Amino acid sequence: MSTSAVHLIDLTKQYPQSTKPAVSNLTLHIPEGAVYGLLGPNGAGKSTTVMMLCGLMRPDAGTVNVLGMDMETQSVEIRKKIGVASQDIALFPTLTAYENLFYFGRMYGMSGSMIRQQIDKYLHVFGLTEKSKKIVHTFSGGMKRRLNLMAALLHQPKLVILDEPTAGVDVQSRNMILDFLMLLKSEGTTIIYSSHVLEEAERICSHLGVIDEGKLITEGTLVDIMNTHSDCQSLEQLFLKLTGKNIRD
Amino acid sequence: MKTLATIYKEFLLLVRDPGGLALIFIMPLALVIVMALVQDAPFRDYQEIKLDVLFVDQDGDSLSAKVKQAFDASPNVNLVVKTDTAEVKQLVRSGAFKAAIVIPANSSETLREKTRQLIVKVFSNFGLTEAPKDSLDIAAIGIKILFDPAIKSNYKQTLTGGVQKIVASIQAEWILDELQNQLSEGRTDVKKTPVNLTEIIQVNEQYASEKKYEGLMLNSVQHNVPAWTMFAMFFILYPLAGNFIKEREEGSMLRLRLISGSQFPVISGKFAFYFMVCLLQFILMIAVGIYIMPLLGLSKLVLGTNILGILLVACSVAMAATGYGVLIGVYFRTPQQALSFGSVSVVILSAIGGVWVPVYVMPEILQTLSRFSPMSWGLEAFNDLFLRQASIQSILPNVLRLTGFSLVALFISVIIHKSRTIL
Ligand SMILES: Nc1ncnc2c1ncn2[C@@H]1O[C@H](COP(=O)(O)OP(=O)(O)OP(=O)(O)O)[C@@H](O)[C@H]1O
Ligand SMILES: [Mg+2]
Repeated sequence: MSTSAVHLIDLTKQYPQSTKPAVSNLTLHIPEGAVYGLLGPNGAGKSTTVMMLCGLMRPDAGTVNVLGMDMETQSVEIRKKIGVASQDIALFPTLTAYENLFYFGRMYGMSGSMIRQQIDKYLHVFGLTEKSKKIVHTFSGGMKRRLNLMAALLHQPKLVILDEPTAGVDVQSRNMILDFLMLLKSEGTTIIYSSHVLEEAERICSHLGVIDEGKLITEGTLVDIMNTHSDCQSLEQLFLKLTGKNIRD
Repeated sequence: MKTLATIYKEFLLLVRDPGGLALIFIMPLALVIVMALVQDAPFRDYQEIKLDVLFVDQDGDSLSAKVKQAFDASPNVNLVVKTDTAEVKQLVRSGAFKAAIVIPANSSETLREKTRQLIVKVFSNFGLTEAPKDSLDIAAIGIKILFDPAIKSNYKQTLTGGVQKIVASIQAEWILDELQNQLSEGRTDVKKTPVNLTEIIQVNEQYASEKKYEGLMLNSVQHNVPAWTMFAMFFILYPLAGNFIKEREEGSMLRLRLISGSQFPVISGKFAFYFMVCLLQFILMIAVGIYIMPLLGLSKLVLGTNILGILLVACSVAMAATGYGVLIGVYFRTPQQALSFGSVSVVILSAIGGVWVPVYVMPEILQTLSRFSPMSWGLEAFNDLFLRQASIQSILPNVLRLTGFSLVALFISVIIHKSRTIL
């Protein structure tokens, strides 16, 4: 087995206001170069896991190891090498697309010429070149999503963590994003991809981890998991089999 | 570099926020101009201003000369010499002048004669000289003081009292003179001592109001410009805290925390930017005081000579205001809470800090309270500098208080911010 990009061991997190843990004793193993689909119904604990994975939240128990470094002691180093696009759009609405990206580039500590080069590249990839001087506030949901993703990629991270990057975008934007993720993968970037859109996961993921109610249900390569449950025709059937049909909160 | 980038980002955010811009630049300008105009008259009342008084000299002798000399030396009265009594009456009646002093012809002669007769009579009572044959009943000298009925009573008293004192002192002089004459009659060896009581007694009454600022020119402009500048500077909490909370809500702050481990460039950039905004407000308001106020018929703002001290105070007020804004932004969770608490607190701090009306006209309790308002520290320091040419040393306590306030606010902000962001 290849070396792991991310290793989560026995992670537990309970929000102060809630009665049961959002994540409990979760152990995940994400190989380098994988596109890892972190799947689970609403409230399963995906976002909470992602937050701990990128050091925004401190687990109550357990360890987070990213790119061979421990989050407790080397969070600053880790942050330089990871790119995170959160579930919620995280942009300055009154700045233009370009100004947003440039500022974030600066905050990554990049040089001006490097930032410009990267911005031009991604604006082109995501079809936003013509909108670069427009105020973000005027963008459609899909455009904001793409820009939000770009902001996570500027500094060429080795590990990209995407929490529902295709939420609320149309088919065209979604295809554009998924194609780009495949391109990233081909360049050797590890991608953690949290979603409940199962066709997307089926299309791009090499590995899966399914969680529900904060616990790991199953983990492995997409092929292995599908083979173990050969009675399921699609990932969706498999997902329902594993997590049940009850509506979650 | 990161801090610079943040400063530029804050600049863009503010420039694209017309409401915020209006609030921190237009509102204070409007406020300072309106308040300076409104308070112009009340401030004149607090102050001793020079009263223009008409003066008609029909006497042309030593009495009128003494009166003129005494009033000319008074800082409160400005004599305007006229010759036509009818015209003077008309001027006072029309309200163009508040008062007039008319010294009738032969006043000096009359007074001198009266004095001489008085002495002679006294001496004759003692049997030293023969009683005079002519009558003692010389008419009173009849100096007339005309008043506009609208004149304030304290002005009236000052003028009447002043004239009476002068007449009395002149009379006293002449009495002494006459006494010496009488006593030295026939004795040439006794040298006469020249007496000049008018130089001892001067018309120099102060108006009742304030004693603390005696001799200062705390006028409407001089009070309102620094006061509202301070108010404006503290009001930057509006865009500062507003943007801070918006960034937290919009998630960009989360991204920033992801990007760099340290929040220092983000906070310091914000702080530096709003610090500069405060200084810009300061310059703008001072410019209004110097260039706009005179155009409105108000007096020009006087800065005094200690420019370094002024800069020091401006910087420390800017620090205090920015620190306060950061604290509000960090502490409150929603913009509504932050902005309503923020603006109300600034209004209260400014009210007890002496922005609306000077501290010295406030009741005792409020005066004590005002010592806790950063705005009163700033205002006091500015007044010291503008009006009293204070040295750096004497404004230092207030500067340190303001800087300390800022540091404490920032320190608390950092603690709150940390406790909230690392879950
Ligand atoms: N800030 C919070 N305070 C209290 N409870 C929370 C908080 N955030 C999440 N939770 C709870 O923790 C659990 C996991 O939430 P989380 O957001 O990680 O789920 P998720 O898998 O990302 O869901 P979704 O697919 O809807 O995004 C849920 O039960 C949720 O109600
Ligand atoms: Mg989520």
